[in-house]
Amino acid sequence: MRHYFLTLMVAVPALLAAAELPNWVQPREMDNVKARKNFWSFQPVRKPPVPAVESKWVRNPLDAFVLEKLREKKEEPRTELDRRAMMRRAMLDITGLPPTPDQMRAFLADKSPDAYEKLVDRLMAGTAYGERWGQRWLDVVRYADTNGYELDAERTHAWRYRDYVIRSFNSNKRFDQFLKEQIAGDELWPADSDALVATGFHRTGPEHIVGGNQDLEMNRQEVLIEMNAGVGNVFLGLTVQCARCHNHKFDPFLQADYYRLAAIFAGTEGREVAIATPLEWASYSLERYEWEQKVKPILDAIKAIEKPYRAKLKAEKRAQLEPKFRDALAVPEAQRTPEQGELAKNAESQTGSTWDEVLATIPAAELAVRKGWREKLHELELIEPEPPPHAYAAVNSGKPHATHILKVGDHKMKQGQVEPGVPLVLALARGQQDLGDVTRDVAGRRAQLAEWLASADHPLTARVFVNRMWQFRMGEGVVKTPNDFGTLGERPTNPKLLDWMASEFVASGWDIKKLDRMILTSSTYRQSAVQRRRMDAEVVRDSILAVSGQLNAKMYGPPVKTPIEQEIYDIIFTEQEPDNLWPLPKDRREMYRRTVYVLNKRTVRLPMLANFDQPDTMSSCPQRPTSTHALQALTMMNSDFMAESARAFAARLGKKDPVGDAYSLALTREPRPEERKLAEEFFKKGGTVADFALALLNRNEFIYLP
Amino acid sequence: MSSSTFPKPPEGLCSRSSRRDVLRAAAHGFGGIALEAMLAKGAFAERTNPLAAKPQHFPGKAKNVIFLFMVGAPGQMDTFDPKPMLAKYEGQKLPESFGKITSQFTDGSTPILASPFTFKQYGQSGAWVSDLFPNLKDCVDDICFVRNFYTESVVHAPAMYQVHTGRILMGYPSMGSWVTYGLGSTSDNLPAYVVMPQPEGTPEGGTPCWGSAFLPAVYQGTLLRPGPTPILHLKAPAGTTLERQKATLDLLQKMNDLDTAPGDSEMAARIASYELAFKMQSHAPEAVDLTKETEATKKLYGLDRKETSEFGTRCLLARRMVERGVRFVQIYSGGGPVSVQWDAHKDLVPNHRKMAGMTDQPIAALLKDLKSRGLLDDTLVIWGSEFGRLPMSQSGNGRDHNMHGFTMWFAGGGVKGGQTIGATDDFGLYCAGTKYHMRDFHATILHALGLDQHKLWYLHNGRHEKLTDFGGNVIKEVFG
Repeated sequence: MRHYFLTLMVAVPALLAAAELPNWVQPREMDNVKARKNFWSFQPVRKPPVPAVESKWVRNPLDAFVLEKLREKKEEPRTELDRRAMMRRAMLDITGLPPTPDQMRAFLADKSPDAYEKLVDRLMAGTAYGERWGQRWLDVVRYADTNGYELDAERTHAWRYRDYVIRSFNSNKRFDQFLKEQIAGDELWPADSDALVATGFHRTGPEHIVGGNQDLEMNRQEVLIEMNAGVGNVFLGLTVQCARCHNHKFDPFLQADYYRLAAIFAGTEGREVAIATPLEWASYSLERYEWEQKVKPILDAIKAIEKPYRAKLKAEKRAQLEPKFRDALAVPEAQRTPEQGELAKNAESQTGSTWDEVLATIPAAELAVRKGWREKLHELELIEPEPPPHAYAAVNSGKPHATHILKVGDHKMKQGQVEPGVPLVLALARGQQDLGDVTRDVAGRRAQLAEWLASADHPLTARVFVNRMWQFRMGEGVVKTPNDFGTLGERPTNPKLLDWMASEFVASGWDIKKLDRMILTSSTYRQSAVQRRRMDAEVVRDSILAVSGQLNAKMYGPPVKTPIEQEIYDIIFTEQEPDNLWPLPKDRREMYRRTVYVLNKRTVRLPMLANFDQPDTMSSCPQRPTSTHALQALTMMNSDFMAESARAFAARLGKKDPVGDAYSLALTREPRPEERKLAEEFFKKGGTVADFALALLNRNEFIYLP
Repeated sequence: MSSSTFPKPPEGLCSRSSRRDVLRAAAHGFGGIALEAMLAKGAFAERTNPLAAKPQHFPGKAKNVIFLFMVGAPGQMDTFDPKPMLAKYEGQKLPESFGKITSQFTDGSTPILASPFTFKQYGQSGAWVSDLFPNLKDCVDDICFVRNFYTESVVHAPAMYQVHTGRILMGYPSMGSWVTYGLGSTSDNLPAYVVMPQPEGTPEGGTPCWGSAFLPAVYQGTLLRPGPTPILHLKAPAGTTLERQKATLDLLQKMNDLDTAPGDSEMAARIASYELAFKMQSHAPEAVDLTKETEATKKLYGLDRKETSEFGTRCLLARRMVERGVRFVQIYSGGGPVSVQWDAHKDLVPNHRKMAGMTDQPIAALLKDLKSRGLLDDTLVIWGSEFGRLPMSQSGNGRDHNMHGFTMWFAGGGVKGGQTIGATDDFGLYCAGTKYHMRDFHATILHALGLDQHKLWYLHNGRHEKLTDFGGNVIKEVFG
């Protein structure tokens, strides 16, 4: 923000020099914040010299930092994985898919000293790189395709943000650019539809949308809570949400800081902004018109079947009305007194019927006809024209509303008004004279926030992100609490390593792939594991699809539905007729897409994924827990998905050596003699190839990274 | 991720020999030895079976919970909190002194509606019960009614989240998840936490009402259904015999043993999870098989009557679950179409008669049955909903939502029955005097289970998240 505020600083030095504090901070609070601004993560990143450690083990500077730390602890690096295992780990980490036998053979055949580095380069240049990184980013920003809460409607255009994320990682977009587009793409690049799509970042969280009387202010607060949490958790790596009700208990964040941050969003609202071309609009209008012409006769036919029964029900209910209601109805509408009007309105409500009441009165034969029409209707719904492209965006609404500090976070208990600003402690730590103030102009608040976050000397932005990169590849961050760089969070286990990465990252032009490559080719990364990492839920599903030859690698586009169990179908909430709640795509191949493209519905978690700790997408997930339990095993042994995959896998195996083929495809290695023996015994006792395939897909070696 | 109650055991806590024992046990495959050893209490067992039983923080009488949730909200003035004043004001407006009342659909201007149901006092305690509950009235001396609960949303889903998770927002673990996280389960062949929704559909709040949110997935509620496949994916796919599946599992475990290094507790846990799954597969069908129940028991629960047989079956299953060590059972009355919810925006009489008709006898049977088997002492039964209903009418013969004051009740698990705590005002609109937040509700339940609300936490995004957030008041009178 320095450059933004240069003019202000020059213009009003007297004001800033004065000891007078703005109304939102008490002198005692100011003293407290000042006293604690020296906390490690608020300090500028200083590039430490690379330790001069003598060792052949050191391949790059990262290793030097790691080895120095190890030696301090009188420890040695672990042994290096063999090439085969290394290839498998790198594939699963970088692409989220296991290697194919051909890929493995090609890698093993390359005897050049930099064969592994070339492999990493190849994998990082492929499109699966962005799909894998994208999923990780979507975890952190809690992306889902639906709103959450009871209606949990699909967000028709939200997927463009998901695709934007994948494309950004694949094109190695500078991280500062990536950040700025997400925070303020609409303000900074108004003509760029990608930048508009990126602002969907502010809307990735859940949103409560329901009918009836609404407490609009409360709803607005809920939206702001999500926007604040997004910036706080994702980019700052701080638990700003803890300061919503009171000054932060552990970190020097004031409650005022929380509301100053919220004030940056005071003029921001969610909106679907059309980014379609005139041609797209025109063809959509035509397609839509034609489609509606096909739908209308069906709706009419259904209505015609129901009509007499609805009328009969209504008549019966009228007959049962209490006299006062019936009498009011009998008075012609124009002549009713206000009281009679109210009674008549109530009578209308009392004599209405819900769909299930109506269906219960229709005879079976007609119900069957109706069902036929409904099925035709659902078929047409599957080919409903896609609406023309919109950005699921966050944009400025016009006039920002006033922001108040809310006592215990309750919108009914407004306290002092605050103006937009960034956390005081960070402003003080960076020597900003402006106490972190942000413009009060209608537009440009988020742009300033974005520039401030993306400034090269910001103490947190780069540290937080390089820590996510390290954690992604190593399983654990240098700071083991990637969303909490505050007092309660862990301290960096290797501060010099963290700061070297952060400064190198910024100096390289926020080059994600450059640092990622350095991590992936380090000796540190190539060590054997102490505790093996389990595949993420999505990698489990994608790997099974890949190994069984079912994977459809098509990228991008609207989310797809995959088959669900009846038990899961039954828990989709609706008060309406539940006969087409989960339409499967017409093109069956769509169901075998990578999981990042599978509909992520907040209230309907797919058992296979949920059991393997797929995040609930309700809050930022910096690191997934790994739970191991019986329901996982049941799903992996008994679900239709596994049965189908095992059959498909078995069908890929040659007659001559199915065991060898299966090991080659699933584990990219030859079976050992004792494994051949186990398989032989299994077949001898009547075991089928599909059962054998199922067992192999369940094996620890398959589910865990080397 | 870590927690105060159950930190990861430090490395080296389990001796090498015990690890080897486990692996040797696993290596013997199915029907092999010493599965019990694997599940033995202790740190290692905790890591191989995250749901292994864990000690209470302090002695608490309740060991299990059955939570009966009435979806859509019964009216407190129509069930357990009689308001004769409403008859006096019938047809009139609420006195202006109450201020503006906004509910989800009405604005407080509609006339007062007297309760169409008749109240009487029952039992030695003289508890008030309306004629909606001709069976439950016989159990009032085991019940503690609390008439002064409130929630903070007039909309179903947020209010349901508050009752289930403590917050009106989605994204927090349900209390069943917290309880199983805190106590594990004494059953190793059934899920620790089961949920039985209304067959017609799910409550508005949906799956987050039993979700584990940021807690590991192992603590989520598991759907349980009557019938041959009570748990999702419990049965081998069609065409696969049990024999064949056993052989497949045996092959899998033998292969897994090959790449499980001694001391690799993560892999050992995975091997154990398949053992547990197989046990569940063999035991769960028995656990839901009601054919062994006596005719008298079935009759008690109303399995012989069309009106009650469905809900009665779920109540009977609940008893069988707690009998077998399941920690937390959640049953929903209502879900799906509005006609199968307690949400009487109109037609209060037929609606409440229908919903009470389905549940009254089964719930009374559950209390009686638990009591006669000596299970009520350590089973906490809770009845409640997301809010209550307004004293004013909607649509002339129904009521809109009232979050300001409503009744829930407790029985068993150390609860002092035969008492009524708290009150609402003369119209049944607001709590009169003391009022209890859902934090207090949850603090009370955790207390009954011997769990300290402040010690049961989980570090998530830099916060020590707790069911009761910054703490609730245990309603001590509930326990006498």
